[in-house]
Amino acid sequence: MWSKKAAAVAGGAIFLTLAGLIRLNYLFISAGLVMLTFVVISSFLDVWMPNVKIRRETTSDNIFEDGTMSVKFIIKNTGLGIGFVEIYDSLPPQARIIKGSNYTLLYMKPWQEVSFEYSLKLPLRGHYHLGPVKMRVKDAFDLFYNERIEESIHSFSVFPQIEVLEEQVITSRAPKLLSGAMPLNVIGTGTEFYSLREFVPGDSLRSVNWKALAKKGKMMVNETVREDVMDVILLVDAREVSAVGGGRDTPLEMSCRAAATYAKQLLDERNNVALMVYGDTIDRVDLDRGEHHLFKILTALSSAKPQGNLKLEIVMKDLLPHLPSGSPIILFSSLDDDHTIAEAFTSTISRGFTITTISPSSLDFEERMKRIPMEPLLIAKIERDNMISELRSFGLQVGDWKYGDNVNTALQEI
Amino acid sequence: MEEGPTEIKPSRVPKIDKIINYKDFFGEYPIIFAIKIISSLSLIYVISEFYVYHSPKDSLLTKYLGDSLKGFDPNPEVFVPWGFAAGFLFYIFTIFKGRYKFFLFLIIAGSLGGYIADPAIDIQQGEYVIPTNTDVENSETNATQWRWKPVKLVYDDVEGTNDRIDDVSVRLTNAIFGSMPFLGAYGIWKRKGWAIGASIALAIIIGFLYTPNLCLENFDETFCGYDTKQDEKTWSEYLSSGIFIGLGFVIYIELSYAAIKYENYAEQFKPAGLDISLLSKAQRKSVSKTLRTLFVSYLINLAVILFITFIIAEIVININYYLSTSDGQIQDSIELQGPYGIVFTSLIFFLLLGIIRMFIGPDNKMEDA
Repeated sequence: MWSKKAAAVAGGAIFLTLAGLIRLNYLFISAGLVMLTFVVISSFLDVWMPNVKIRRETTSDNIFEDGTMSVKFIIKNTGLGIGFVEIYDSLPPQARIIKGSNYTLLYMKPWQEVSFEYSLKLPLRGHYHLGPVKMRVKDAFDLFYNERIEESIHSFSVFPQIEVLEEQVITSRAPKLLSGAMPLNVIGTGTEFYSLREFVPGDSLRSVNWKALAKKGKMMVNETVREDVMDVILLVDAREVSAVGGGRDTPLEMSCRAAATYAKQLLDERNNVALMVYGDTIDRVDLDRGEHHLFKILTALSSAKPQGNLKLEIVMKDLLPHLPSGSPIILFSSLDDDHTIAEAFTSTISRGFTITTISPSSLDFEERMKRIPMEPLLIAKIERDNMISELRSFGLQVGDWKYGDNVNTALQEI
Repeated sequence: MEEGPTEIKPSRVPKIDKIINYKDFFGEYPIIFAIKIISSLSLIYVISEFYVYHSPKDSLLTKYLGDSLKGFDPNPEVFVPWGFAAGFLFYIFTIFKGRYKFFLFLIIAGSLGGYIADPAIDIQQGEYVIPTNTDVENSETNATQWRWKPVKLVYDDVEGTNDRIDDVSVRLTNAIFGSMPFLGAYGIWKRKGWAIGASIALAIIIGFLYTPNLCLENFDETFCGYDTKQDEKTWSEYLSSGIFIGLGFVIYIELSYAAIKYENYAEQFKPAGLDISLLSKAQRKSVSKTLRTLFVSYLINLAVILFITFIIAEIVININYYLSTSDGQIQDSIELQGPYGIVFTSLIFFLLLGIIRMFIGPDNKMEDA
């Protein structure tokens, strides 16, 4: 293919030759012919496209939001093709290069292996890929070139960012066979103090509270909160309405970060965790535990896209019959555009489940983007506050998560 | 006595990088700096050669301005180096920073204003240096007194003013011829493709408006610098010199383009608006090595292609010469000795090259095809 430069030089050369003929200027004619010869001879240099093998070495196949991934791009010429090659490794549009470059220009020789490195940062969760690789082979003077796209793809996932939770607020009324770190509101074996009672035969001397003995003059023992393994259900609202805002600042993004944080903490405490993401359908990751399960949950969270408008009541009707009774449910939702919330919560509580809501406020995003006038915004805020107060009046735990706060702050509100 | 802790005062002398962006001049990689120097030399060569064959005395400017401007004498030996120097200094001016650039601008504007206004504004000199403490005349006590002589601006040198206006006009007309090296130098060092393109376009315009011996048709021999009409060079002489000028232009275009291309390649590793490279020392070495490999390969390619171009151009001329001078029907039927002849021969040659290209060289078909 002709480059712009080739067209300009050839055009200029022809013009010079013709102008020389008009003005009878031999210098113009000869200079024009020289330039034309230069272009014609260069067309013979229009080199063969080399056969290449491409591979990438990355520091990790998966990173967390705002994490850095270093990529080593290795290309090997497996043939006798030779020439100036431009290589451009396509990146996702959200990626930011923080070191090096995904582009290089090199003079490739037969059987030569070349590598270059770059580091990139991705601020948003999701599934991405590096590649395809765009190659452009050209002559030394950029007059002629050929392009090819090498379908060399390297897929990776960006998981939602995980914060460290400072406190534990989730409790259950349904003990399991295995002991864990989750406190139940019943007396049992654990480490957290619950109450004092009188010593009865059979009690361990290690549980005797010696200070209380000195004070009351009779043997008293400490009772502790029972700690057990729980089945916790994380429910993430991924309806279309959860995409209000932009970039990292949307209810869905905040919900995913919070769900990832909870999942990590709960799984670290040896609990069983399930994840349900609802939007146009319900995507499930069933109850399980362990590092591998965390990977599954994070992958599912990375896949969550804002779409559909499934109401919470329908979701609950579908889910509840399959959930272990008494399991705590943690809902991550902005609670927008859903008139079935009250009914959904009522039916959930009535079946013996506890439900905790972490609600990122979408109004904060709207306010920040200045898309709603002040008065309607104020009214909407009041309506939201009223709704949260109403839900709390049912005995529900609702965390009103403001823009800019971290998950811990939202937890403190519960 | 105990000495208190010494306070390190910040130096009042500003650092050089706060005054001028000298890194832009030297660049991060010496090889790119070298390319710019070679490109500048080729620019000076090609423009000097160009003016050898396109004397400014034979230009339309001389025809229309030669009479009216006193001292009009466009000399390539003067305006080519000065034009280049002006372009280069203008680039240097652009890399000054902030207020220093403004101060420099004020100094330049003031100097220029002073140069133009100098003969028109005359300061009347007094007998004392102003102010001066002088003895009071007829004083018995040797008293002294400060004396002030008012400065008077007098517009009195009419002839000098007219000479200066002529001088400015002559310099301005020279600047028209000198703008070619000016734009070229600025384009190479500032990495501006448009300036390089403009310098070539200007060369074409000046060459197009050039008429051999035009000067003698309007002025006498003393002014033109040659007493009789210049001997017409043979067309083969013109063609031979034209080949060198053509090759010179190709070198100039290619090297300046290469300087921009490789500078842009190096630029991509820098964060926007910052001087500090994102690369570590090892990576910088690697980029430097890549640049060196690229540039050496590029120079080899350029040398080979220029040599082949030169050989082919010579072959075309000689074939044309052979055809035009040998007896036979071809010589009788076509004016091969004229400019049309050389163009015709060249086109036949290009046709042959085109046919050869059909069989030799790559044919990168789509894989699916």
